[in-house]
Amino acid sequence: MTNLYNFIFVDPWPWWLGGIAIGLLVPVMYYFLNTPLGVSTGYGNLVKMIIPKTKLKWLTSKNFADTLNWRFFFMAGMILGGFFSARSMGFPVTTMDMGRFTAIVDWPFLSLAVWFFCGGLLLGLGARLAGGCTSGHSIHGLANLHISSLIATIFFLLFGAITVWLIRVFVFGGI
Amino acid sequence: MSNKMVFLGLGVFFGFSLSRVGASNYDLIFAMFTGEDLTLAWVIITAIITAFLGMKLIGLIGGKGYKGQKITVNKKPLNQFTAPGGILFGIGWAISGACPGTVLAQVGEGKTLGLFTMLGMIAGTYIYALLVNKHPKLSS
Repeated sequence: MTNLYNFIFVDPWPWWLGGIAIGLLVPVMYYFLNTPLGVSTGYGNLVKMIIPKTKLKWLTSKNFADTLNWRFFFMAGMILGGFFSARSMGFPVTTMDMGRFTAIVDWPFLSLAVWFFCGGLLLGLGARLAGGCTSGHSIHGLANLHISSLIATIFFLLFGAITVWLIRVFVFGGI
Repeated sequence: MSNKMVFLGLGVFFGFSLSRVGASNYDLIFAMFTGEDLTLAWVIITAIITAFLGMKLIGLIGGKGYKGQKITVNKKPLNQFTAPGGILFGIGWAISGACPGTVLAQVGEGKTLGLFTMLGMIAGTYIYALLVNKHPKLSS
């Protein structure tokens, strides 16, 4: 029993277990809830919660008529899932650590915050223009053989790789 | 149990899985893009194959859900903004070491900088809402 507990809650999962668990969400959500897997549209809920009186057309559409719809609960669950995972591994409740980035880059907190905020800004705008994110396009869309998802995914990966190369050279100093 | 509680539970499952397999780990995302460690690429490929087979299975049993309701898969539209959006998204993915789903797992894990990525995503979504108001063609 200890082995099984450690396998699920303590040790990092092997890639195949994570892939199967995440992939199963697509058919399960269709079968039981007739809903496509996707996260990024839910950020519209959060925008609308901050500015409920907005007159912007996109935010007044029926997608966001109820900001406490399934997307909100799904996102809240994902935060809880991350919380449980880190606690079961015995990680501290908050950390400034962001892997290689915070290990190499010696910036003040404000600069780090701005860097990650800008990354998020591009993710938010890019996901909306492209019509989805990694879960909606790359997993749900590719599994359903959508051409737009293939094109979006190619650009996600290509420009991710180019940007990481640039970060290595110009931010990490060639490491 | 209401649908919303089901979605909350599925979200916990999703966030937990992303975190356990390392999808919310900056170093693993960085290493996927440099090619040093393709763990996350294999996770994505396995997820696509699993989802594809699951959808085939649903098709084989008549394309109906558990209550007999017809399952509709709407094609995501392809337009001239798919590629530019993908480019911005890819750059953001590399800068923040996160995507819209994994950043939620990061916030739950307690990564303070992930919270700024999430705030940035809210701002980016708002900018889209502003842009689409001026240029209705942007909406897909």
